Amino acid sequence: MSGLREKILNTASNLFQTQGINSTGVDTIVAVAGTTKMTLYKYFNSKEILILEVLKQGHQDFQTWLNDKLSANTKKPGEKLQKLFDYIEEWVTSPDFNGIGFIKASAEFPKENSLVHQLSAEQSDQFREYIRQLATEANIQDADGLSLQLSLLFKGAVQSEQLKRGSDAIKYAKKAAKILIDGALTH
Amino acid sequence: MDIFNSPWLINMLAKSSKTPQGRLLSLFDILDDWLKAPHIEKVSTLNAKENSLLIAFCTEQAKLLGAENPDILAEHIVLIAHNAAQQLIEQPGSNSLMHAKKVADALILVQTQKNGFISNLTESKPAIYSIAASLLLLVGTASLWLPSFMYSQTAHARMAQQHDPVETTIAAAYGQDKALTAIDASRMYAKYEQMRQGTCHFPEVLQIPDKHKSIYLENVVGGKLPANSADLAIANFYLEKVHCNFTPMLMTASK
Repeated sequence: MSGLREKILNTASNLFQTQGINSTGVDTIVAVAGTTKMTLYKYFNSKEILILEVLKQGHQDFQTWLNDKLSANTKKPGEKLQKLFDYIEEWVTSPDFNGIGFIKASAEFPKENSLVHQLSAEQSDQFREYIRQLATEANIQDADGLSLQLSLLFKGAVQSEQLKRGSDAIKYAKKAAKILIDGALTH
Repeated sequence: MDIFNSPWLINMLAKSSKTPQGRLLSLFDILDDWLKAPHIEKVSTLNAKENSLLIAFCTEQAKLLGAENPDILAEHIVLIAHNAAQQLIEQPGSNSLMHAKKVADALILVQTQKNGFISNLTESKPAIYSIAASLLLLVGTASLWLPSFMYSQTAHARMAQQHDPVETTIAAAYGQDKALTAIDASRMYAKYEQMRQGTCHFPEVLQIPDKHKSIYLENVVGGKLPANSADLAIANFYLEKVHCNFTPMLMTASK
């Protein structure tokens, strides 16, 4: 990847997370990145394409981080499922946490015909599918149901943390997740 | 209609149940019914802004429940309901609101576990009748066995021996006197639920030491969660001693 392209992508990512996507104009991005509009449009044809690229990069980073954490520290599938919310809590409560791209983008682009909304919905589904795979590996009978429950719990807690940092929503979500996982394991 | 900001929803919730937990959980049933009703105009997106009326109502219910952090519980439940409703619109077969209801139930459990949260049990009339019936059955069975126990030294000796392990377990737990974890609570609820499915007997009930009787009545027969790990150890000991018959009534009668 070109160094300049990467710099624009990282700058846009930081600004979208801290100031919101719609509130961040292209002028601000190029000013902070120290480049020009012409260069930005050379790499990204429009602001919408830039947003889509930021979302793809952010989601890939999140999935890789989570997967590496789970693979490095737990071997048994059942433990991975239990540890999932431990790592999510660790991440959400870190000082650098500014929200999750696909959740924020979904709220800022609520219309179904928006490409940004469609991508964020797709990434939300991918995260749920990731949980479903962990549940299936842990021999949970209703892996579909549990993955839907845990993804709803996760999304709600992150939104709550985004609204008010340090709200403890993720702490309660982690405990609730254990109840739901234990219940699913005993069926 | 902007359902999440409508006074109609609050009115429906207010009359949906006699308990705060029931009113909170009804949110998911009402939304599910509303979104599946054929005469409702199809909406593609729900208004995510404000929801202040609904959050205020849910916060009030959470306070009545004795939730540890009522504001967060209410906000989290409304967010989950909103996301699940949105998902049901986009994927009509997902049953997302019923799954969301289970999530909300778990969150309520987590936030109320330090307060002895018995609302799960008190909400259901069949559960109350079942517990009352179990109590009567236990007392009745015990009274039939009373004469033989009064004159049976061997029974006393046996019970004394049986108390040893529980005293050991309790001694280990007393020092810690910890609050129940969410897992403890969920396991106890599973045991209570299992007991309700059968006809249970514990003829040795009158041999229980006085200091354990209130725990036995409240935490075994009454289905109320123990207040701490020491009481949990005692309750679990007696739960294991209770014998339950799970043969359906009609099958028993036909034999």
